[in-house]
Amino acid sequence: MKPFLLIIMIFSFAAGLFAQQKKTIDFIGGARSYMSNSALQVQDSLPDTTTLKRNTGGYALIDLGVNIRPNDKTEIMGMFRIRNEYGGFWGAGVSFDVRQLWLKGIIGNVLRYQLGDLNLKQTPFTLYNNRVQLMDSLPSIFQLQQNIVNYEKFYTNNTWRQQGANIDFGLTLNKYIESLDVNAYLTRLRATDFSSVPDRLLGGFTLAIKQNNKLSYGIHKVSTFDLKGTILDSNVYTNNVTTLFAENKFYYKQNLGILKIELGNSVAKYSHDALAPVLKDYFIHAQAQFIAPDNKWEASLAYLNVGPDFRSVGAQSMNVNFNAAPNFYTSYANDKLSRPLSIMDLVRNEQIYTTGVSSNLMKPSLMYNAILPYGLATFNRVGAYAKASYKGIKGMDLNASFYKLSEIRGQGTTQLKQFLQAELQTTFKLHQLIGFKKGLLLQTGFRMQNTQRTGAVSVELVDLKSMAWQVGVNYEFAPKLQLIGGMIFFNTKGNDFMVDRNIYTTVDYFTNQKMDIAQHMTAFGLKCNFSAKSYITGLFQSASYQDKLLVMPDYTMKQFLLIYNMTF
Amino acid sequence: MKKILMVLSFFWGLTFISCRKDTAIDGPSIEEIYSSFKMLSSFKANKDSVDFSGGATVGFSASFNKIVSWKITITGATSKARKVFSGQSKSIDAATTVWNGTTTYFPLFAAENCIAKLTIDGVTDTFQVPVRIKNTRTVNTAIVIADFENGFSPNWVKFVQTGANMDFNIKSDTSKVQGSSYLNMAGTVNWDWLIGLVDFPASAYSTSNTFNLSTNPDAVYFNCLVYGVPGTNMSKVLFQFKEDENADGVINANNEDQYDFNIDVTWTGWKLVSIKYSDITALVNGQPVTPKGNSIHNPNKIGKISMLHLADKALGAAACKIDFICFTSAPLEL
Repeated sequence: MKPFLLIIMIFSFAAGLFAQQKKTIDFIGGARSYMSNSALQVQDSLPDTTTLKRNTGGYALIDLGVNIRPNDKTEIMGMFRIRNEYGGFWGAGVSFDVRQLWLKGIIGNVLRYQLGDLNLKQTPFTLYNNRVQLMDSLPSIFQLQQNIVNYEKFYTNNTWRQQGANIDFGLTLNKYIESLDVNAYLTRLRATDFSSVPDRLLGGFTLAIKQNNKLSYGIHKVSTFDLKGTILDSNVYTNNVTTLFAENKFYYKQNLGILKIELGNSVAKYSHDALAPVLKDYFIHAQAQFIAPDNKWEASLAYLNVGPDFRSVGAQSMNVNFNAAPNFYTSYANDKLSRPLSIMDLVRNEQIYTTGVSSNLMKPSLMYNAILPYGLATFNRVGAYAKASYKGIKGMDLNASFYKLSEIRGQGTTQLKQFLQAELQTTFKLHQLIGFKKGLLLQTGFRMQNTQRTGAVSVELVDLKSMAWQVGVNYEFAPKLQLIGGMIFFNTKGNDFMVDRNIYTTVDYFTNQKMDIAQHMTAFGLKCNFSAKSYITGLFQSASYQDKLLVMPDYTMKQFLLIYNMTF
Repeated sequence: MKKILMVLSFFWGLTFISCRKDTAIDGPSIEEIYSSFKMLSSFKANKDSVDFSGGATVGFSASFNKIVSWKITITGATSKARKVFSGQSKSIDAATTVWNGTTTYFPLFAAENCIAKLTIDGVTDTFQVPVRIKNTRTVNTAIVIADFENGFSPNWVKFVQTGANMDFNIKSDTSKVQGSSYLNMAGTVNWDWLIGLVDFPASAYSTSNTFNLSTNPDAVYFNCLVYGVPGTNMSKVLFQFKEDENADGVINANNEDQYDFNIDVTWTGWKLVSIKYSDITALVNGQPVTPKGNSIHNPNKIGKISMLHLADKALGAAACKIDFICFTSAPLEL
């Protein structure tokens, strides 16, 4: 009853404001209905009499947000969520949550501030939400499911959702430099349990100076630290990352050239733990980028060097928790085995995605990304990469990237691993190419990862390859009505060593992990776009997980989905 | 051309300045981890007999060709007491793997012959050395409230309900843990949680009305050995520390502090329970409350300790055993 009263009070307050002063209040939010009927098929070696293999259900939810501007310098946002599981009735299965709460404003026309929920991002080495498990973009039938995950977890433009305070201000100067911008934040990463876990905070700032139209530079700083006194133990963790950056623009035969460099160091340590090492290291990331005058093509070449002991909590947090239990078909084989995550989980299962920066280094998955599990901030990597994109005639888009990297320090051996990654993604607006009146979109993608290590001793050898292909079709056969379909193939074969790290993030042990896993996911359906902000879609999708080494039983998941989604 | 050269020199310069060689390796050697096990130096004890009563210790050592998970189990030939050390390393160091006569699995060791056995995960062979205990270690206590070696003190007050199969007696049998006797507390009381209790008044230990303990509650530890009987309902052992704040010989529950330490006996076999006096709270029906006196832990003003054996009346029979109730100035090691 309390949430109801709270909502009524806030809406009454908002309505009161609205009555007194026009244009001070906006209602925003979204609504979704999600119905699912799925089945699990398992290649059981023994008769399975305990695992439930059908699942049906879903939910309806509405996010109601009130954006209040009591004056021209203050803005308040509160968003509530009412969610009802299908089958819930008269309160059973109904939940009320506060989804967003923030306040922002300007002090003296100079200092902007925001309190409460914040979306934060600095650079890939300081604070950044890396999305590296699947390809950069998915066919639209899968992307619409990923968009739900993104909405649920507040993933926008590689930001992390944190709670705390943020200030920023800018100065325009007449002499020496053109402008100076400062942004600083302080957020709470982890709450204390009052006995053994201290409060952990994340704070940082960016100072950016624009010298002129061509040259800009500055400094980023981010610190993760335990708050002394929140528990009796005086041993506190700190991780400081300081980086310098510069950017210089120039023109070469009318093409815009941009030279970018970011370099910095990190220190991670515990104050009163004799066993804890002090991890110090540095990184360099330099990039030359060329952009055609008509923006049709763009190319860049980059050098990357991230030290083996470089630690950055804000940049090395993963958005997928591979140890999380999926919220459907959690176990199988007579409920004795935890079902391994499949690409269907990565596409649509918001349960395995994290909500914010992790206070500890998360364990990556060799299967989904063995090369850059923490994005560009992955430690112990040196090498180069190149990227190119082309927005050609008649609706053809092409994006390609190529990474050639190696380790800096050997892992359990003096031999170094060599990494190769190539990715190509294309989008063809076929109706433009062939002069077809109705919209027809074809999306394709390919990613290859190759990890190799040679050695004098056979036990040290590493040879792991993963290949991902994807294709998607979107055909608008009638106004606002689309047939959509797509496929993803994901194969991983070979061996690599899974690293067991201790609480200090140094290596304790290596486990040789042999894999030969083939996955594919197929989906097709019908989508009706009521407007740019609302749609309804009915989908059928099937995902299979085949372990050719018979470590885990093979399984196939089939699912029918009916999704209505809108934002307002 | 000039700009191209600028870009190229930019990258050359970076490659040059960031060129680093790292000859160290992260973690243990994979070659070692995946090689077959070899014992590089044999499993040894640095002495074959030891007198723990004088503070002597015995150290164990061994070394292997790779990191292994190892366990040393020292078993008393007569007492069957066991002391366990375990670790994951390439060697066992006699300077750090040191046995001072304490016990992991009760009863306590006696003056007896022992066998120290080394087992290694994934290795079928075991390695063992003999060690003889000449004298057991001396336990430093501030006050021993009850070890039941000399029977029931006439100054203690015992109350036992008239339930079924009541047994609130001192026993000396194979369940003994410290010395040769312990107190058995068993019975079925289906109308009350209380099965029985024993009061230990301070006057039983000194001429004073209070126990002769330190004034500092952080330097006083209360300890006891409790035995959970397998296959019975859970016992609760509740210790009440009743402070006589004005030392008048009368415990007044309305205006003097009482602190309560509840032990849910959820295990089977003997277990050492130890708690700092300052960590003990006042309880009513198991919930923390504010004490009724000065709300300051005053161990030197404890006038009486009551030990209650409780069990859920709806469940039926409950049983546990208790021994070596004592105060120490540091957590008790046995």
